[in-house]
Amino acid sequence: MMALWRMLGAAYAELLLWRRQWMWIAQSLMALLGFAVLSSAWGGLAALRHMIVASVFVGTWGIGINFIGQIVGWDRLSKQYEFYVASPLSLAEYYTGMVVGQLPFFAVDVAAPAAVVLLLGVPPTSLLALLAIALAALALGSFLSLAVVLRIRNPMNISAVTNPLYTLATILPPVFYPMSALPQPARFLALISPTTPLAELARWATGAAEACLDPATALGLTAVWFLVSAVALRGVLKWGLEN
Amino acid sequence: MVKRFGAVEALRGLSFAAARGELVVLAGPNGAGKTTTVRILTTNLKPDAGRAEVLGFDVVREYRGVRRRIYYVPQDYRPYGDLTPIEYVTGILMTRGAPYREAKKRAREWLAALGLSRAGRTLRQLSGGEVRKAIVAAALASDAEVLFLDEPTSGIDVEARREVWRALRERVRAGDCIILTTHDMGEAEAIADRVVIVNGGRALYEGSPRDLVSKIPFAYRAVVRKPAPPALDHAVDLGDRLIAYFRSRSELEEFVGGLEDLSQLLSAGSVGLEDAFILLLRGGAA
Repeated sequence: MMALWRMLGAAYAELLLWRRQWMWIAQSLMALLGFAVLSSAWGGLAALRHMIVASVFVGTWGIGINFIGQIVGWDRLSKQYEFYVASPLSLAEYYTGMVVGQLPFFAVDVAAPAAVVLLLGVPPTSLLALLAIALAALALGSFLSLAVVLRIRNPMNISAVTNPLYTLATILPPVFYPMSALPQPARFLALISPTTPLAELARWATGAAEACLDPATALGLTAVWFLVSAVALRGVLKWGLEN
Repeated sequence: MVKRFGAVEALRGLSFAAARGELVVLAGPNGAGKTTTVRILTTNLKPDAGRAEVLGFDVVREYRGVRRRIYYVPQDYRPYGDLTPIEYVTGILMTRGAPYREAKKRAREWLAALGLSRAGRTLRQLSGGEVRKAIVAAALASDAEVLFLDEPTSGIDVEARREVWRALRERVRAGDCIILTTHDMGEAEAIADRVVIVNGGRALYEGSPRDLVSKIPFAYRAVVRKPAPPALDHAVDLGDRLIAYFRSRSELEEFVGGLEDLSQLLSAGSVGLEDAFILLLRGGAA
């Protein structure tokens, strides 16, 4: 029970922060609505379905790569990180607390599009698979972000690093558009981005668009990205007892 | 404890002890090793050699036991500015395992004790002193048995600092241990049971402030405007004025009597911990 309160304690400050900075949440909602209007205006219901399916895991990817990275960067700068290390709070509780603290964004960026996905006729079982992919995107995004952020010696402006990472991985590769729209050589290039296999898995799970990769390959590539991020993180993620 | 950062030896065999019901001040110049010491004791850093225990728990092998029992306020610690003091203290107590209602109740009590009960504004809108008081209130509201406070009163005005001192002494009286770092010798003299003077990664002195003052060969001091009489045994140059030290009252009186113009004398009195500290660092203590 104490572990639960400790985790909620870490989340508490984050939640209050978003209550005061609600414009960020409003901006996120406006962006989602804008994208929905844009895609349906140009591509009808099929484009809307594809865009909304991608939004579910792009939302969690953004929370992982942008918010988690920025929070840890800020916590290191403000010495909150050192403060937490010297307390009963564990690294797992701190991490979970940070994620739970982003609940308002989960509501806007995940729950809202997930509801629309159901309305657009995607079966509930497919939605569950999509949410599992979203969870993987959250973990992978945060691991990669932390692997980069924790290597920055002077973390004065973490968002200058995490924002481009987020944008590069979601706008350029075939995430909001199908991989089949790319010419063959560009498809190989697109595999550089960890979001490409995640998007392919989402297409395969929901049938929102034709997937170019078979699920086993997409899963394998995602596993490789997890492995890479875990190795990159291993050397820098320390909960105290630093050398 | 020994700790190196590349070619820099931050700690070179520093050793000291602190007991329950005791407030120990780590004092020393910038770069002396105070913060490194505290970071090792709070399990943030690993020592290169030597060992340290907090309440019988080894800070490296049994770090979990240490973390459950301590509270640490790092130097230059800045909490989220968008929280009010009550929200900040409540959240901190929750991260230590306290349920929400209990955390809020304790937060209210300790903020009231430090005169912050009506601070409904966010930390960003409060003065630096009020923020430091909220930080100290969270430390005092915790259930920790050992508090590590790295310069907790820096930037606080004199009146607020005394409120914090009072609260810290009450906590010590209740049987807990506080290890505090400061540059302010007046603060150390007022609240420390013992001081550890750290310099160059070593403890130069460990004992009561009073004992340290008694170790120096001077009993009195005077601050005088220049030009001062040339025959001064020991003086510290402050530019257009200097601090002169004297072994006895008669020596001081003789000096004052020899001044051409009495308005040169700015102050005179007994030596204090700051004098002892400076003389110790310069190798002037007995």
